[in-house]
Amino acid sequence: MKAAIVVALAAAALAAGCATERTRYGDARATETLTNQFGSTDLQVMAESMARSMLQAPVIASSNLPIVTVQEVRNKTSEYIDTRAITDSIRAELQKGGRVRFAVDAAGMNPQTEELKRQQSGLYAKEHAAEMGQMVGAQYRLEGNIISIVKQVKDTKDVYYKLNLQLWNIRNGLLEWSDEKEIRKTTTRG
Amino acid sequence: MKSTLLIAAIASGALVAGCAAKKGFEKPGFAFGCPIGEANVSSMDDLVKAKVLSEGRRTTIQTTEMRCSQTGELLRIDANLNNDSRSVKRIAYKFRWIDREGMRAWEEEPWKPLMLHENSNLVINTISPTNKAADFRLILRSEE
Repeated sequence: MKAAIVVALAAAALAAGCATERTRYGDARATETLTNQFGSTDLQVMAESMARSMLQAPVIASSNLPIVTVQEVRNKTSEYIDTRAITDSIRAELQKGGRVRFAVDAAGMNPQTEELKRQQSGLYAKEHAAEMGQMVGAQYRLEGNIISIVKQVKDTKDVYYKLNLQLWNIRNGLLEWSDEKEIRKTTTRG
Repeated sequence: MKSTLLIAAIASGALVAGCAAKKGFEKPGFAFGCPIGEANVSSMDDLVKAKVLSEGRRTTIQTTEMRCSQTGELLRIDANLNNDSRSVKRIAYKFRWIDREGMRAWEEEPWKPLMLHENSNLVINTISPTNKAADFRLILRSEE
């Protein structure tokens, strides 16, 4: 009996030791359908679609290099979504295209003013230190919402996401551009 | 007889000139508004062959039409995709942007998933992300 237990334990230890784990690099831009929660493909598709749409907005297409600040994209879905990742991707695409300039946003204001204060602390040569009162204010602010509608019946789960973004003129409060991107994903078991 | 021949010759000349003028709407190096460079494109089929690539699993979805227009410094593209089968088809697509030197003008786009109902058409459209993009390819793959 004891011998059988020893053999079983040895076999289990051997099996655990033999279970191999394999890690490989994948395509970061491939479609990801592991679950129907908000995923990398949704983030990439929404960001690209919105950035391309924004390029056609008259205030951006006029090539006057408008200055935009990114405000919050409110997450009104039932799951955790880092909405900052969406606006960061949109900002990166627009900045890379060289059609828009971005002013420091509310989230980046503290590090910006801290650095300005540090440069004005007397430690730096005056001609190489950034002056106070030279920051450029944004002409437009980008904000939006993301919502989701989730429905589940037995073995089928349907998730609908809608991202809405708006570009507001800060001076006169006019809405200069707005667009939406919708995504629907359905998962069926069995 | 001579005058009849002369009139016929003038009429056919005018007709040819008229056709030439119509074709002349297209800038050299462009077909249906899309940049083609030195490629010999005389029909929509030629344009689709020159612009659409397949990567990964092949799809039965056909690109039937493609048109481009210049929006400021950027290139706007409309492509009509057709699913003539009796079942829903799932594909992914992306555009590849090429600059005047034939090099990549933009990083590789993410694959965008798309569902086409049976016996249906769907127009996908995009705009070039940068004014450095002078040419493009539409790439399709099956997601079945």
